Amino acid sequence: MYGGGNVFEATKFDNLQTEDPAKLAEFEARIARGEKIEPTDWMPELYRKQLIRMIEQHAHSEIIGALPEGTWITRAPGFRRKMAQMAKVQDEVGHAQLLYSAAETLGKSREQMLTDLINGKSKYSNVFNYPAFTWADSNIISWLIDAGAIVNQMANAKGSYGPYSRALERICAEEAFHLKYGHDAVVHMATGTPKQREMIQAALNRWWGPIMTFFGPSDKMSTHTETLMRWKVKMASNDECRQQFLDMYVPKIWELGLTVPDPNLKKNQETGQWEYTEPDWDEFKRVINGDGPCNAERLAVRRTAEERGAWVRRALLNPKAKYVKPLA
Amino acid sequence: MNEQAIKDLLYKLADDQLILGHRNSEWTGFGPILEEDIAFSSMAQDKIGHSLAFYTLLQELGEADPDTVAFTRNANQFHNSQLVELPNGEYDFSLIRHFLYDNAEIIRFEMLSQSSYEPIAKVATKLKGEVKYHVLHANTWIKNLGTSTEEAILRLQSSLNEALPYALGMFENSKYEQELMDAGVYGGEEAVKAEWLKRIQAVLEKTELKMPDLESIEPRFRGRYGEHTEHLQPLLDEMAEVFKIDPTAEW
Amino acid sequence: MSLKSLDPRVTRLNLPDGEVPAMEPKPELDQFETYEAFHQKKEGAAHTYVGPVHAPNEDVAFLFAKEQYSRRFPCVGLWIARTENIQVTPYAGDGENVYDMLRIEEPAKRSEQAEPYEIFHLKKRGKAHTHAGRVVATSYLEALQEAKNQLGEKGPIVNVWVVKSKDVLQSAEDDKDMWTTVPEKKYREAIAYKVMDKITKFKEEQKNLTAQ
Repeated sequence: MYGGGNVFEATKFDNLQTEDPAKLAEFEARIARGEKIEPTDWMPELYRKQLIRMIEQHAHSEIIGALPEGTWITRAPGFRRKMAQMAKVQDEVGHAQLLYSAAETLGKSREQMLTDLINGKSKYSNVFNYPAFTWADSNIISWLIDAGAIVNQMANAKGSYGPYSRALERICAEEAFHLKYGHDAVVHMATGTPKQREMIQAALNRWWGPIMTFFGPSDKMSTHTETLMRWKVKMASNDECRQQFLDMYVPKIWELGLTVPDPNLKKNQETGQWEYTEPDWDEFKRVINGDGPCNAERLAVRRTAEERGAWVRRALLNPKAKYVKPLA
Repeated sequence: MNEQAIKDLLYKLADDQLILGHRNSEWTGFGPILEEDIAFSSMAQDKIGHSLAFYTLLQELGEADPDTVAFTRNANQFHNSQLVELPNGEYDFSLIRHFLYDNAEIIRFEMLSQSSYEPIAKVATKLKGEVKYHVLHANTWIKNLGTSTEEAILRLQSSLNEALPYALGMFENSKYEQELMDAGVYGGEEAVKAEWLKRIQAVLEKTELKMPDLESIEPRFRGRYGEHTEHLQPLLDEMAEVFKIDPTAEW
Repeated sequence: MSLKSLDPRVTRLNLPDGEVPAMEPKPELDQFETYEAFHQKKEGAAHTYVGPVHAPNEDVAFLFAKEQYSRRFPCVGLWIARTENIQVTPYAGDGENVYDMLRIEEPAKRSEQAEPYEIFHLKKRGKAHTHAGRVVATSYLEALQEAKNQLGEKGPIVNVWVVKSKDVLQSAEDDKDMWTTVPEKKYREAIAYKVMDKITKFKEEQKNLTAQ
């Protein structure tokens, strides 16, 4: 699961004038025709860099995203929830594997990506730096964070890079279960005992802020953004995704009699747009830069898992093996 | 057939699977490599699924529903072997336990699929293929790591030495052993153990791991009769933490 | 001092609390080499590419691919091939046939022994390679030529993978029971979660409450 929290910064490769104009024209024509780009095709450096960055952040978000819900994996109540919670967290790890593989086809090794994650050099979706205090928090994540992720991923699946699209199609198919499972759990809580209702409302209150920042700040439109949209790397603006999410899920929250903790949230019937209190982007920036409630723990867990598994990998390492990028 | 004997058999099978599945699920997200993380989690889910299938048979025999049975009993009401309740330790211990347990589990499933008690035979026949993968997974890992670095071999050997007394505890006879065998419900623990020894020895022989001298080992029995290590009750408390907020609620 | 977490599993990991120095970069091959996996969705269907796994060898790659790629959807068989052993053509554009664009030169030196090769075709960019058939040849290039002659007519084919049959680990007939229960694991399927009744009932109750 993943939001649009990735920021498309300009890079030094922004200058397309260094690219071969004939090849660039052919590349752009292919995308304009609706064809996918495959790993061995010629591609501009900007395209490659941005995709690596985006897919890598997405992969990190999956592996770190396994942790907030993993908090409740040993405590899920009843067989139905216990098995589903395990399967859901497992899926997140599986998605990380798929996405790291897609990024690898562009030339960055999984070793390097994991090193960059653990050393804080590359980011992951900011919401996972928030804690899951109760079982109900885990339900809200399963439902609404996954819902947000699906909005984003459905858009990106239509992007131009073949391996990323293939991975996302599989991920979306798997996440259909997450969304329904999360909704089912939230409905049970919201229509259950007073205690359950209180738990789920409290969790919604805690998560609404992070959810609203999930898609990232409004995009600054620049020639850079336009290029990435033309190349079908960026498929929808952060605000478009946020509006779509609100459209699909606020009514479903309200029908359960739950309160969204934003007095200004309403759909403007004239514009068809949702109006809301602007999320706290200063906090967003603070947390993304490391100062969130769980940043340190998330990375420490990942690092410890890697370190404790190192003897296994050392034992099976075949020094004669040659690493070859995955094919697709 | 004495229904009590069948229930006793079902409880020990289901409790083993539930507790081991729970333990193995603790690895999800923390595995040594992403792909193994996924595989280990699948097997944990399968184990919980198997326990659910057997608790469902118990319910059909008049016991409480699976959730109540799994989430509200205390440690002294559990019939699992002590092997499965031990903490995960490092990956070497979890792998060795998986190897020792699943090589016994597959023999039980093979036997049970021939059981004269049809409901058990049906469940065992259906789920056998899953256990087959679990065994393939365990044996492949033990063969690979058991022939690798000194570090890995040492780790596995020490985990094997540590786990074996508990593993032998899996084969503790029940009160109804003879009765179950006479009725053709179950082939009995002695038979499982004999076959198990053959199979694990066949795998260990392909590695540099040494089978400790079994004569000198005192098996850790009594789990089948509700006596457990200090690790089981905290595991159960953790598992039921949310469920017990309100056991009558629908979660 | 170790970190106390909301996750009891994390608390048991005894994580160090506070600053730690940066992790040493992971060594090369820490994540192993890669293998490509192909699944068979149902009896008689061609094997289709599902994706790569990182693994130290073929046997472990099979264990990994089985769960990563066949736990969620129906499957009756699985093939594994080391990425390094697969030869790949360039990609043609959608609608084209890559065989028409390749000049396949006969290898100067033929190795003596002919052996079987597996051929995979990609019909459209962004889709997955599918097993097209098996040819017998003395080299990869000859295999590609044979594939063109025997399997290359029905375009479009935008990309071809060629791999020696002996380099493909194939699940056996009697492995099939490992997958029989996959479709029954409803707890991980969306269809198992139906809450409309609960929501409707809840709304009714709310309406009655306000009506009173």
